Amino acid sequence: MTTRAKLGYSAAGLTVFATLLVPFVFYGLFTKGFASLGLHVDEMYSGGPKVRTIQVSGYSIDIHRPVSPHLLQREKPFVQLDWRPVSALPPHVSDLVDVDGDGQPDLRVSFDVPKDPKAPLRVLVEPLNPRYQAMRNVGKPQFSELIVRVDDAILVRVPLAYR
Amino acid sequence: MATQDKVLSPQPRSVGKSLLLTLPIAFWSLLMFAHSWRIQRSAQIASVTTAVFMIALFFMMMRTSSTYRWRRWFFVALGLLFPVGFIHQVIAMRGTMGIPIEEMIAGRTPFCYIPIPMLILPAALMKTVVFPGSIRPHGGMSGGGMAAMAGIWLAITIVIGKGWCSYACFFGGIEEGMASVPPKPKVRKIDPRWRYGPWAVLLVMVLMSLALFEPAYCMWLCPFKAVSEYVAARNTVGTVQNGIFVLLFATLVIALPLLTKKRTQCAFFCPFGAFQSIFNKTSIFDVKIDRSRCTPCVLCQKSCPTLSLTDESIEKGETLMSCMKCGACVDACPKDAAVWHIKGTEVALKPERARLMFLYAAWAMAIMFGGSIIAEGLQTIVHVFI
Repeated sequence: MTTRAKLGYSAAGLTVFATLLVPFVFYGLFTKGFASLGLHVDEMYSGGPKVRTIQVSGYSIDIHRPVSPHLLQREKPFVQLDWRPVSALPPHVSDLVDVDGDGQPDLRVSFDVPKDPKAPLRVLVEPLNPRYQAMRNVGKPQFSELIVRVDDAILVRVPLAYR
Repeated sequence: MATQDKVLSPQPRSVGKSLLLTLPIAFWSLLMFAHSWRIQRSAQIASVTTAVFMIALFFMMMRTSSTYRWRRWFFVALGLLFPVGFIHQVIAMRGTMGIPIEEMIAGRTPFCYIPIPMLILPAALMKTVVFPGSIRPHGGMSGGGMAAMAGIWLAITIVIGKGWCSYACFFGGIEEGMASVPPKPKVRKIDPRWRYGPWAVLLVMVLMSLALFEPAYCMWLCPFKAVSEYVAARNTVGTVQNGIFVLLFATLVIALPLLTKKRTQCAFFCPFGAFQSIFNKTSIFDVKIDRSRCTPCVLCQKSCPTLSLTDESIEKGETLMSCMKCGACVDACPKDAAVWHIKGTEVALKPERARLMFLYAAWAMAIMFGGSIIAEGLQTIVHVFI
């Protein structure tokens, strides 16, 4: 048997042995390895990191960092605001929100909180700062302009007025 | 002469020897399905049925020395039962097959392996994953997030390379089933240039994903959205996307396999298959043509479901890099010239040893990954209908 053949059979034997390790070693190893690569899900989906929380009576509003679309992404820049927990929200929410933290309100956000978690949501956003766009009776037409309920929070994404 | 030493099994193996060769796979099946004893009865029934099914098929592979014929049963079962289990799961969790925008924002979009090549460039350049899933090890829907799928894909690919497309892909079975329905193909002449289709789709989708920062294939071209989950049709664009999915599924997965007896989606369209072909270069196992035995009758070429054999490749004694090691050509060759092979060894010297080593690796992976999916589909049927 030639050296190449010996190497071939050894590699094949190792492959069969590696097979036995897949569910017990490699799967977990590669899964954790992937998770530790430091990658992050595109902010157009995740909404960007939370930068500040405003406490309102009984509930809070999380403010996320503004998200800008990449290259040819077909979305507008936006900022995400989370109202949570849903159980503590009044039937109708109408809050003045200081998004940029300068002490002045930037938006008035109003929406109803239906008891049925699957009921459609609609939001009215009145900009008090020209940096933000108005939203009138908006549901969830696109990632950069929506109101949705995700787990125990109501998320509103307000488009920014410039790109 | 190497060919004189060839140890094939022209006669069926004895039952005893076949059972002996099947024993390691039986132990492996027990190991893989043992966890189901701690859960509900429907899972136990499904696991036992799947284990018996997989062991029986492997036994028949040992007994008859035929691979493709028995593997096909597993693969078709996988292709048919994956949608059953998956659709049941998504409907139970969110009440619809459409992916609501809320689930995308929550990072609970189920992730399959097909977009993997499309995500590499944005991940490498921007450290960003352009898919609305979860990166955590147990994140995503039912813990089946991107990390879990990437982990299982990498592990299986290291072991069997492009064999993924014949032993692990949970979509290809539908078209393989369709291709096996007609006794003879109605369309025999296929332009060989269609073989470049998957590479073209891969290139376009990789560039589109990078430019649009979205999983372009999942959004626009995946035929299997028709039997898994689709974009919730919130607007005209969503409706158009779903129309494309259904049209591609009907054409590439149903109609063309029936007409050509080929896996047309895999052979002419699948970008993941093209990407996976690269790993044929790293896999230690391949299929060769023993030129000293080849007549050539081109039966291997006719039987290949992905057009991975050409006159030139047969002349060279090789398959193309798109070969997914299904074994169709080996089964079809009347002269035993198409053989399983371990790289570095002499062609046709102990091909049965190469076949056995490959099959132990491939079937173990098939049981671990595909078997669990079959069991889940069966469990759904047992749970819902019985």
